[in-house]
Amino acid sequence: MNMTKNQRLVYIALLASQAVIISLLERAIPFPFAIAPGAKLGLANIITLMALYTLSTRDAGKVVTIRIILSTLLGGTIASFMYSASGAILSFLGMWAVKKLGPSRISLIGVSTTGAILHNVGQLVVASWIAQTWTVLLYLPVLSFVGILSGIAIGIIANYLLIHVEKLNYYKDLRDLD
Amino acid sequence: MKSYYQMVKRWDVIITLTLVLFSFLPFAIFSYQQASKTGENLQQVAVISVDNQEVRRVMLTGNKGEEVFDITQHESDTNTIEVIDDRIRIKAATCNDQVCVLTGFISKPGQTIVCLPHKLVIEIQTINGETDTDDLIISS
Repeated sequence: MNMTKNQRLVYIALLASQAVIISLLERAIPFPFAIAPGAKLGLANIITLMALYTLSTRDAGKVVTIRIILSTLLGGTIASFMYSASGAILSFLGMWAVKKLGPSRISLIGVSTTGAILHNVGQLVVASWIAQTWTVLLYLPVLSFVGILSGIAIGIIANYLLIHVEKLNYYKDLRDLD
Repeated sequence: MKSYYQMVKRWDVIITLTLVLFSFLPFAIFSYQQASKTGENLQQVAVISVDNQEVRRVMLTGNKGEEVFDITQHESDTNTIEVIDDRIRIKAATCNDQVCVLTGFISKPGQTIVCLPHKLVIEIQTINGETDTDDLIISS
């Protein structure tokens, strides 16, 4: 069953808007762990994973780009844009590369954990560049640990979504369009 | 629950472990650098800088007592810094994310407190006690 171009556009817009809403909601949740200030759940990563698994790479990239730009316009600053952009680009590239291993070797859990950790790496690199001291990177192990935990949770959630939302199987055909 | 265990594949574990080890890399480089710094009079100094310009130094080694001061820029961007003995922290800040306040006390070389909205960084550096101690603002 084939998709028209318009259906694909609507699907991209749908994912992007969901991602924007989720990242706005996430901003409103105070993170409970005082031991790791700056850590986040990364709920918006669910949508990135869905996009990666149901769309072509180029379209998944569009979803991520739209999400970053829109969530910055809806209540972000230049600094927060730089963090989220660097984190999102790095984690997207990492997830894309890791996913190349194929579904028989790697599951959604591994892909989302990679995304979570690389997101932290990207943010801390920008933070240490702004602060002009690379010792900020010493904070990385703490964030990676939180990243693994949230990565596993997000991976399970995304897996659940991918299996149980039947409609999405229909959208898997979109990948063959390009 | 069992099905989630089955979901994990071999490469998940390999890649996660690799990334965790990779995240310790800056730490390893730093400890290597610190180990090469030998000397008897090593002292810890908290360097407070705003927008990459050093604004104040606080001697931490051997410091006793309590001190609180404000670093203010652009009239409203204020960080209240507290030094108790050989530890330093940001007690309060007017920034929106409060990450710097949550970081709490730091006292070991290499630890940092960063307040990105105000571009304020507190970094603990190791200096050799014999060299130009006159320049330091030593709090008493």
